Amino acid sequence: MNSLRIVADLIQTGSGGEIDPNTAARRRRAAQIMLAVGAIVLIALGGATTPSFLTFDNALVVIRQASVTGIVALGMSYVTISGNLFALSAEELAILTACIFGWLMRAKFGLALSLLATLVFAGLGGAVQGAIIGLGADPIITTLAFGGFFRGLASVVSQNQNILLETNAAEWLGTARPLGVPTQSWAFLILTPLAWFVLQKTRLGRVLLLTGANRAAARATGLRVGQAGLIGVTLLGICCGMAGISAAAQFGQAVANLFQGLNFDVIAAILVGGIALRGGQGSPIQAALGAAFIALLQNFMLLNDLSSGWRMTVVGALVTLATCVFHVLQRRR
Amino acid sequence: MGRRDTINELCIRAGFMVLVYLVFALQLPNYHTATGIAALLDGAVLIGTVSVGVGISMLAGEFDLSVGSLAALTGIIVVQVVGLGVFPAMLVGVAFAAAIGALQGLAIGILGVNSLVFTIGSLIGLRGVAMVISGENSVTIPIDQLDEIDFFTDRYLGIFSPLSLGMVAVFVLFGLFLRYTRWGREIYAIGGGRNEAKAAGVPLLRPMVIAFTCSGALAGLGGSVLSLRLGSATPLGFDTLLLSAATTCLIGGIALDGGRGNVIGIAIGLFTLRFFITGVASLGAPYYVQNLAAGALLILVIAGQIGFRALHQRRAFHRA
Repeated sequence: MNSLRIVADLIQTGSGGEIDPNTAARRRRAAQIMLAVGAIVLIALGGATTPSFLTFDNALVVIRQASVTGIVALGMSYVTISGNLFALSAEELAILTACIFGWLMRAKFGLALSLLATLVFAGLGGAVQGAIIGLGADPIITTLAFGGFFRGLASVVSQNQNILLETNAAEWLGTARPLGVPTQSWAFLILTPLAWFVLQKTRLGRVLLLTGANRAAARATGLRVGQAGLIGVTLLGICCGMAGISAAAQFGQAVANLFQGLNFDVIAAILVGGIALRGGQGSPIQAALGAAFIALLQNFMLLNDLSSGWRMTVVGALVTLATCVFHVLQRRR
Repeated sequence: MGRRDTINELCIRAGFMVLVYLVFALQLPNYHTATGIAALLDGAVLIGTVSVGVGISMLAGEFDLSVGSLAALTGIIVVQVVGLGVFPAMLVGVAFAAAIGALQGLAIGILGVNSLVFTIGSLIGLRGVAMVISGENSVTIPIDQLDEIDFFTDRYLGIFSPLSLGMVAVFVLFGLFLRYTRWGREIYAIGGGRNEAKAAGVPLLRPMVIAFTCSGALAGLGGSVLSLRLGSATPLGFDTLLLSAATTCLIGGIALDGGRGNVIGIAIGLFTLRFFITGVASLGAPYYVQNLAAGALLILVIAGQIGFRALHQRRAFHRA
């Protein structure tokens, strides 16, 4: 670990165009403060203008939505931090895994087997993308292609109809609330510190961070940069699988327009959380906070009767604005 | 890359295109008829027009992900102002889309933001605006103005329609622009090596803005023309356009890191993709399989390019 730490310092201070780690950390903290202020303003505004905003039921809706987006955002943060920008196939892979899970449950394979098979498939879906990206393909175009492929595959698996699970065995996964907290939120609450721990405290996490910080230097020191990309996208795939299973379990069926806008929400969560696009910096906790903010924002807009067109425009504007603001903040002075 | 290498590569790609054509033509009799060819050309108009724009942004070393949303938005605007006449309406649409493209180019050029991420934001935002303007419904041309768009179905020389002739014109014009004008060569320069171009004194902002203006304008042109021809526009339309355009450009040899490729390659890529998709459709596959096929084709092309590059590097390493 010690030698790796020395190499890490060399890589991170040496990467071109970077400001020194102290300023970077200070600016990142500034970004997080902006996020917190924004969230407080949103809650205050919502409470003042919308009657149903500060209710317990609504809080539950927000928390559940934030958890699903958050789990996928955790996976995506690994992709971004390892230097692979974004995977534009998260939404489609989630839909596909929901369809597969629904199909398996309907074919009476039982809950345990269906869960295992679906998660393995989800991991494979991520791994295939990660392998190609690890060999040097452009991550955005590759995942764009796989997104179309997964969506087509989902239509084929479902024969373009809704897949009804036809069994209640999985319902608790999607709707139960042990100790009053939805299952998805338990998963989210457990996965977030776990993701942080793996990234910051394990060797694997270090390799991901270094590969993202300076790919060429990482390769020169003998790290397997292809593997880093592979693992990041595979983990994202598993997170999408979890989201897909949760939705199929919650609604008892897999529908084609599930997760509409998930790609956008997750990307917005990463950007708003302040994770650097160039990779090599950041923490999954930022992604989790970003996801919570996006869920809050979506809920606020929905309760204020903003049409889906307006909501989409706001998310788009937010993504563009966050990109520009953080880019300017992170440039060398 | 010398002239002979470029021609060699184009021949290989053309050979692949002919191969795909033969695979399907041997099983489907309609491929050779005049109506078959006319249908093929018409079906290629949208993707072809937009691909030239996306290709230009790729040549500049960037990527415009927002073309689908811009096409949908322009289509909605054009259908709503068609009362001005077909060509004025198209002009309005293209001018609007070009302006959006120019704004994006300015922002990306001045700020130095990653164009992939910036255009993800505009992809989302423009789609949202399209939904807001259209009230989340399809908009249609009023019945009393429908006869104005009749000329779209005229036929020249048996196989060309105004649309496909327009597409040919786009290819020729932009091909000449890229190859023979200074502005076109500047686009190649900033794509081929940003720092080297800067050191050589090439302005960085102008070609960037021009590239994105082109991709915006062509996306708008594609969206307007298709919406006018169909007589309606929907805000969620053109959602597979980006994937198809990217596939076309990559099959056609436009390099993702910029600076390499030409419109002949894009044309070859266009027809390879169209042969493949129409072939799959004519074999009886349902429409959603086409998405699967397009994605699979792009994955194949990407994997193939990676494999080729790895093989090349290994061979060069051993030769050295």
